[in-house]
Amino acid sequence: MAKKLLIVDDSKVSRMLIRAQILAVHPEWVISDASSGEESIALIEQDQPDYCMMDINMPGILGTDAAEKILEKHPSIRMVIFSANIQETHQSRAKAMGLAFVAKPVSEKSIALALDYFQCGN
Amino acid sequence: MLSEIQLDALAEIFNVGAGRAASSISEIIHDEVKLSVPSIEFKTSAEISPEALSLNHGRFGTVRQDFSGSFDAVAMLLFSEDNALEIVRDMMGSQMSLDDLAEFEQEAMCELGNIILNACLSAMADMLSISLDSSLPDYKIASCDDILHAIAHNAGQDYILVLNIVLTSAKRQTEGQLILLLSSASLTNLIQHIDGLVSGI
Repeated sequence: MAKKLLIVDDSKVSRMLIRAQILAVHPEWVISDASSGEESIALIEQDQPDYCMMDINMPGILGTDAAEKILEKHPSIRMVIFSANIQETHQSRAKAMGLAFVAKPVSEKSIALALDYFQCGN
Repeated sequence: MLSEIQLDALAEIFNVGAGRAASSISEIIHDEVKLSVPSIEFKTSAEISPEALSLNHGRFGTVRQDFSGSFDAVAMLLFSEDNALEIVRDMMGSQMSLDDLAEFEQEAMCELGNIILNACLSAMADMLSISLDSSLPDYKIASCDDILHAIAHNAGQDYILVLNIVLTSAKRQTEGQLILLLSSASLTNLIQHIDGLVSGI
């Protein structure tokens, strides 16, 4: 069955790059996107994805705060924090929530790390 | 000058650069740091004024580095002189006196400029798949007029990319500017590389 992925990033270019790189590997996946943490919370209430890629620094709430709210209600979603904000505090917070942290930029390597976590839990 | 999608791509490039720089600065001052780029604007040299650069008429700590490669640019990082000293105090340890701080100001500000400018330009090089080399950083205290004069007399570099940057730590919030001076040919080259990134999606 095709997996559903939600991309949350305030940069349209980043959302487009992530989508293109994922579809190159998994053309059957159904991908939706949101440009803020608040929008992602609302979208997930309507249609729960299997996976989510979440930026941190966006207008409105931090991506890590949005992730925490989402996982309280939907703990089965596998989520990757995908951000340019690579400081230890944010990486530690992601790990404490049981999430993977992958550093931007969007590249074949960073997307492969996210996919590996989604599918193998590594 | 740039379309919405081109500006979005450029903003994301500087977002990645700012994230890398914040991580390095955080290690130096042993504190969490947020480095954000709330606005990006292109100007021509004819449009440059203190207001266009959000400069008051005080004195500024300026770090300059020249970048060359797939395109050429002069990069300048500006902080007000007071803010520059506070950043140096954070970098060197708050127990230092102001007199002692002045001794390290040049070295510390060059290091800060080197971190921020190289993080941004290396993010640009990585994301656009290009190569850029940089000169050593040069630190000067300058007045607003000195800065405008330097921009106006930078022969052939008629386009100016102005990024307002905000450096926030637990102790303080510091605003500054990152300025890239580009020739018409370099701007065209940069736009072509951004288009290559966007069209490759």
